Amino acid sequence: MKDVFRVRRMWRPRGELRDRYDVVIVGGGSHGLATAYYLAKNHGITDVAILEKSYIGSGAAGRNTTIIRANYRTPEGAEFYRQSVKLYEGLGADLDFNLLFSQQGHLTLAHSDRGLITATERAEVNQLLGIDSRVVGPEEIARLCPEMDLSQDVTWPVMGALYHPPGGIIRHDAVVWGYARGADRHGVEIHPYTEVTGIERSNGRVTGVQTTRGPVRTDMVVSATAGWSTLVADLAGVPLPITTHILQAFVTEPVKPFLDVIVVSSQMHVYISQTDRGEFLIGAEIEPYTTYSSKGTFSFLEYSARHTLELFPQLERVKVLRQWTGLCDLSPDYSPILGKTELDGFLVSTGWGTYGFKAAPIVGTTLAELVATGETPRLIAPFALERFYTDTLVSELAAAAVSH
Amino acid sequence: MRLPPQPDERIDREAAIPFTFHGSRVTGFAGDTIASALFGEGQRVYSRSFKYHRARGLLCCSGNCPNCMMRVDGVPNVRTCVTPLHEGAKVEAQNFWGSLDHDLLTLTDKVGGPFTPVGFYYRTMIRPRRAWPLYERFLRSVAGLGKVEKHGGRTRRYDVEHRRADVLVVGASEAGVESAREAAGREGRVVLVDNGLDPLPDLEGVEAVRGTAIGVYEGGLVPVDAGTVLHRYRAGRVVVAAGAIEQPLLFPGNDLVGVVLPEAVRRLVGRWSLRPGARAVVVSADQRGLETVSLLEQAGTEVAEAVDLRTTRVREIAARGRGGRVASVELDGKKLDCDLLVMSGGRQPAYALLAHAGASVEYDPGRGIFLTSAIPQGVDAVGAAAGDGVAAAAPSATYNGASGKGKCFVCICEDVTDKDVKRAIAEGFDSIELAKRYTTVTMGPCQGKLCHLPSIRLYARENETDEASIGTTTARPPWQPVELGLLAGRPHEPAQRTSIHHRHKELGAKMMWTGTWRRPHSYGDPSGEAKNVHDALGVIDVSTLGKLVVRGPDAAAFLERLYPNRFGDMKTGRIRYGVLGSDAGRIMDDGTIARLAEEDYYVTTTSTGAGAVLEWFEWWNAVWGLDVGIANVTGALAAVNVAGPHARELMSRLTDLDVSNDAFTYLDAKHAHVAGVPSLVLRIGFVGELGYEIHFPSPYGEHVWNSILERGADLGALPFGLEPQRILRLEKMHILVGQDTDSESNVFEASMPWIAKMDKDDFVGKWSLERVQERGFREQLVGFEMANGVVPPEGGQIVVDGRPGGRVTSSRWSQHLGKAIGMGWVPPELAEDGAEIAIKVDGSVERAHVRLRPFFDPDGEHLRT
Repeated sequence: MKDVFRVRRMWRPRGELRDRYDVVIVGGGSHGLATAYYLAKNHGITDVAILEKSYIGSGAAGRNTTIIRANYRTPEGAEFYRQSVKLYEGLGADLDFNLLFSQQGHLTLAHSDRGLITATERAEVNQLLGIDSRVVGPEEIARLCPEMDLSQDVTWPVMGALYHPPGGIIRHDAVVWGYARGADRHGVEIHPYTEVTGIERSNGRVTGVQTTRGPVRTDMVVSATAGWSTLVADLAGVPLPITTHILQAFVTEPVKPFLDVIVVSSQMHVYISQTDRGEFLIGAEIEPYTTYSSKGTFSFLEYSARHTLELFPQLERVKVLRQWTGLCDLSPDYSPILGKTELDGFLVSTGWGTYGFKAAPIVGTTLAELVATGETPRLIAPFALERFYTDTLVSELAAAAVSH
Repeated sequence: MRLPPQPDERIDREAAIPFTFHGSRVTGFAGDTIASALFGEGQRVYSRSFKYHRARGLLCCSGNCPNCMMRVDGVPNVRTCVTPLHEGAKVEAQNFWGSLDHDLLTLTDKVGGPFTPVGFYYRTMIRPRRAWPLYERFLRSVAGLGKVEKHGGRTRRYDVEHRRADVLVVGASEAGVESAREAAGREGRVVLVDNGLDPLPDLEGVEAVRGTAIGVYEGGLVPVDAGTVLHRYRAGRVVVAAGAIEQPLLFPGNDLVGVVLPEAVRRLVGRWSLRPGARAVVVSADQRGLETVSLLEQAGTEVAEAVDLRTTRVREIAARGRGGRVASVELDGKKLDCDLLVMSGGRQPAYALLAHAGASVEYDPGRGIFLTSAIPQGVDAVGAAAGDGVAAAAPSATYNGASGKGKCFVCICEDVTDKDVKRAIAEGFDSIELAKRYTTVTMGPCQGKLCHLPSIRLYARENETDEASIGTTTARPPWQPVELGLLAGRPHEPAQRTSIHHRHKELGAKMMWTGTWRRPHSYGDPSGEAKNVHDALGVIDVSTLGKLVVRGPDAAAFLERLYPNRFGDMKTGRIRYGVLGSDAGRIMDDGTIARLAEEDYYVTTTSTGAGAVLEWFEWWNAVWGLDVGIANVTGALAAVNVAGPHARELMSRLTDLDVSNDAFTYLDAKHAHVAGVPSLVLRIGFVGELGYEIHFPSPYGEHVWNSILERGADLGALPFGLEPQRILRLEKMHILVGQDTDSESNVFEASMPWIAKMDKDDFVGKWSLERVQERGFREQLVGFEMANGVVPPEGGQIVVDGRPGGRVTSSRWSQHLGKAIGMGWVPPELAEDGAEIAIKVDGSVERAHVRLRPFFDPDGEHLRT
């Protein structure tokens, strides 16, 4: 308790960049920081530098809509995220930092029989893998969320939902800071405002990186750069089947909380939760065009507002406070690309589309294990970059595209 | 109590307006805002603050700060200082337990300061984990500001207007008006948008609009919030004349009721003839604050002292309160009693709209404010928004670092104090972006209008650096908060109905959604309807099918390249089933393709895939540049399928075609008049019985439908819906794209290898399909029969070694076959006729057997005869 009052630095001030590290992690977001944390904690590898071109958590980690869940469609995806949720549940205690993880439950609405089939499939896969997930009808939805408009005389009547009780929202920035503090305490160096401008190679191996603060020698580079993945991989000469799109979100002014469950409608491309501060946090699907511009669009506000009011007409007079965008790295099968590439010593965590933040702890543990042992952990083997050469794709389209 | 009439007052003392405040009857005048009327009635406390529940009163009187936010007629968070009063308004204050004057949660203020430092919640309630949900429940019970009617519905009608302007001026400030006047008559259509309380200026050649610009988006899009109308302006040139925003000073007690910004004095006295207080102290870092002195004197307020911080160095300012209201101020220990403290920390140009447009925002150390540069083309800044006339502040004087007793607020929306910010810095949140997220400064209802500049000044001071190197956070739209209802517009979504829709309703159809279409699920008896197709004659409305005409010298070549099938060798008047693949060899859609003439094909698609297929066709047509035209005739044509043993007899009655099996064979396409309507008749059979699909102009939908039912009545003609159709097609193992296939399915693994003509030169996806052939199958789409007649759920799992090994995509009970049947994906080693599979049904595992050929009429004799 006394820690509450004592002012303690979260992390050391940025120091000089040394000329060599065992491991260089590009990207100070949730994946990069988690990987560094577990490298140090689980494997004792502490000669690690995190190079971040802006401030920590400045990309997707600080822009997502903070939803954590495991109710994926493919067994590969569901198992992976099950582990992630499990880690998230214990992460606050592990990092000794309250991440405000609110496991309030997650409803994915079905507005058509096709939607119900998808929900059923996900529930069936989840149950076989021990994930708490089931299809519920309108009556149970009304019990879980009495404020939602469940009348049938609307454009998209609610026919049922996939209910996932462990699904929740978390304070995303706290995850970033908690990992940063944990990594820093283990001796990992965090270098914000340090951009990687080149990746040095020799004989098919990584030998170092060029940065805006000078060169660094290393034989292990982990790129965890989300929307900028292809640009960083280009530096390493590794082509990635990734396109970069924007995803948008907005919050409303705070109002007294009444929505205690996360509501997602894939049909209407909208997901809605209410934060512990009382703001409604609303997101949409990825924009179909590719861009690196972080400018938001007005049409996003219009269609998201329209869909929100379809479900919650009582929010008609509630005001939008702020909209923002984030960059998403989308893979062809809506599953991540994780692990080794054709360049020795260059690992990637990419292809996260709209669902990367949910995976931070499990990405961190598995990538750290891969770095430490050189062996790809079983859990992430299906997500290897190689699958695009062997055509072994993992289709998460049904569960990932807009289902936060 | 009002002052005697003031020279420029805006109230009409003859027009009293009654309204209620917490149920009590009160009155204001025409020309009042809700806040000014309440002030006239003696109200000084307007709200309770977000975290500490401190009493808050009018501060900016300009619609920027959160202090006057109230619930008006059930609408939360209304900025009452800029909301004109209307008769009968029901006004209530927000965010208190008990009453506004005696808020039980002020406890958080008394004990909260030392016990709840910034970010305290990150460090507490970590263990035991069980405790956190309880604590969270408490947090949620006190969070938020205004209340929403939990079960309320939509109450207002909102409209959107699309407008164009050659020049759009935002803000009727002096500079804005001047810009509009200059542009008038020279630059086409000139529009001036203003959200103030004064009447709009009447300028020749300028259209003046009351409303708030929400943002400046790509392509000169400036949406304007005009209450219940959203004006979506496309502007050739945007002139931002949004003025400047008065900034507070940082000192202990700077949030007390009675501590105001200069504009509050101007408006209270000048506009509404209200005396802001009895005894005032003015502390100002610019001229604007000092200018209030004469106004105050004019209103009969005694000015105890006016301090110009530019010339007088004051080391310590501290306001002391009683009951949340300012009672005195200490200037370097000199105590002055007062009930009004006018503070001015200078003005910050309102640059947000410029930042939205892409301008950079940088600190100008000489003037102590943020200014914009690199304003993009097509956008201009004028007046105070551009920094003109914004008198140099004395930034060093706006915060002296003295902490003293009492809270010094940097951000009044979120109740963030100077100590919180200092603590954040000490903890290592040393970038403004990190600090913003940690302390939540600038994240409240004012969105930084009153806290961005002071927080950055404080930051610079604490970090012992200059403001310029601290940088700034990004300004994001909207410029002022905007209602969801306005953004949403009127509540309608596109819905499609066929031209026979009303007949279905009359026939008692249960309707369902498929994509945007409403279609009959059934007419009450799905099994019976399916049986009638087998036994007699069924008719189904298939108008929802996508329908494309592909015509031109290269039409055959175009389709050959798009589909894995062959179409060039088709004879005129023949039909082929086609499966459209993506460039990755994945199944996108399916349908029939009829060759109507040498250069003329008629392509049908799935009901939900029509749009995507059209887009796909047009995309490739643009890439290849073939001589072919594509027309979407989905809506223009209705389509009806008649199927069953008596279908031929019916067709012979409705047309003068020779419908004998020799003259009109399976997979023939013929033009004919059906019930007098020019039609295209396709002999195909999705449902497995002899069938004809009749395509004809939509307006004749009901006529053709009625004719079929009338002329076929003695043949047993009855309508059937989508549900019986699904049973029938499943009996035939005909796939539904998107249900039986997913985004990774290909024709080989979907058990339709005959579709792909791998000896063709090339087609979209060929390379990928060759890879599938090379690598071998990983899964396969098969049919199955349940051993015990249990119908498994669609989406159910086929269990292999206790793990998900495959999935059920379709399943039904077939009355005709007396079996529970289905389709699903299984591992290749199980894709053998008769192989046993296990399917999870409601927690137990049911046995089933794989079937590779259609359950019904595997050789298609019913279709061909």
